[in-house]
Amino acid sequence: MKQFYPEEVIIEPGSEASPIYRNLRRSLPDVPFRFADELARRNGDGGSVTDHFGAAKKKLYLAKHKGEFFKKCPGSDGQVCCNYFVINFASNCPMDCSYCYLQEYLADNSDLKVFSNVGDMIDEADQVLRKHRGMFFRVGTGEITDSLALEPLTGMVGEIIPYFAEQPNVLLELKTKSDCVDSLLEFDPKGRVVVAWSMNPQAVIDRDEADTASMSERLAAARRCQEAGYRLGFHFDPMIEYPGWEADYQAMLEAVFATIDWKRLSWLSLGVLRNTPGLKREMRQRFPRAELLTGEQVLCPDGKLRYFQPLRVEMYRKMVGWIRRAAPTVKIYLCMESKEVWQQVFGFAPTCEKELGNEMAPGADSAWL
Amino acid sequence: MDWLEEIALRDRQSIQVILASKSVDDFATDPRLGRADRLKRIKEQLRRLRFPRLAETEDAIRGKIQDLKLHPEIRVTVPPGLEGGLLRIEFAAASHAELKQLATKLTEAAEEVSMPEIFDLLGGHTGK
Repeated sequence: MKQFYPEEVIIEPGSEASPIYRNLRRSLPDVPFRFADELARRNGDGGSVTDHFGAAKKKLYLAKHKGEFFKKCPGSDGQVCCNYFVINFASNCPMDCSYCYLQEYLADNSDLKVFSNVGDMIDEADQVLRKHRGMFFRVGTGEITDSLALEPLTGMVGEIIPYFAEQPNVLLELKTKSDCVDSLLEFDPKGRVVVAWSMNPQAVIDRDEADTASMSERLAAARRCQEAGYRLGFHFDPMIEYPGWEADYQAMLEAVFATIDWKRLSWLSLGVLRNTPGLKREMRQRFPRAELLTGEQVLCPDGKLRYFQPLRVEMYRKMVGWIRRAAPTVKIYLCMESKEVWQQVFGFAPTCEKELGNEMAPGADSAWL
Repeated sequence: MDWLEEIALRDRQSIQVILASKSVDDFATDPRLGRADRLKRIKEQLRRLRFPRLAETEDAIRGKIQDLKLHPEIRVTVPPGLEGGLLRIEFAAASHAELKQLATKLTEAAEEVSMPEIFDLLGGHTGK
């Protein structure tokens, strides 16, 4: 995978004391750094650029995050929820997947940012985890960024793994499409960290996941992490339907299970391509030739477009069947799907989010996942 | 317009070719249709071109509902886009006797071979 290098790093005054600043200085000796407060930054950049979202990925900002770090995943209206939490240590992503929902979600706030106040983030997480020691938390860092794509530059994950590795009631998930795992291998995750890859066949990666690691690079990185003691997860999401998808996805699964020890997988998730009408408009503008725009998607009650239900249920069933042949007892769940779809795919649906969330805890003896 | 562009992208054809295709042009040039009807039929045909497998599934379900030969007072429909996987059955009865009669007709229909096939189609069992 080609390492991302920003054209410029812009530092909010006050962030120089952060370990992230030191890491950036060390990893980017040849990239210009400048200090700018927020007003000057907004006034100075990109007046004549047509693709603001794409242009925003070329520079990297280091600034203090002023809001909450630790939040419940927003999920989707009326869909089965898995009780996931998120910690956002960065915003936006240097990669450029055609279907990325950040094109809409961060349209008005697209600066590629890393947050300097790591201490505040850990303090906030600590308050929540200590207050609720009897509760199991699954916390992800990849909601509005790629968890590891910037790691060689920022060292952010290296700052937080030692904390989370010591917490008894959490699994920290680092979700990524990169192969940037070198620095992770220095740490002992103590069974508390899951490195998870979003996976698609190489044909989809080539067409729709620009600047990400190849399928084989992701799998090689996964194997290295597993050998270093990390738990693993895979997210087959978004699944894209196209002529020949079955053969490609089967081949991808064969490659996955040939590379890693499936018995030590924490979870797999499945989700078909989802977009809102607004996101679809952004996609058409930035990727007008993207063939995934031509799928048979219908508007669902939660406001998202998905392949029509019989089609996507058929896709899920096929994937579950192929996975179960290779990994009979691995935990599989659906992301942002209705109880009806769960029922059609698995023959049951979770009764509540806590039930599904608790099934993901280490050692949980899943009767049905 | 979105549908036309997406069909053109998927099928690697120009919009002009799509609009000139027989299935669309037949409606566009049918002298028996008024303007509003013509537009409605063209739009429906474009929908079928844009969503061919959805249209095929909907047609199959519609055919199986017809095979049930239900009492005209019993209305059986599926949701738009088949989302939710539910079959909706509606009827109104003006008397206890009528209610019993309609319930009996519905029970008989439920035993027809077409009924489970409708749920198979809604549940993604295409047999492909």
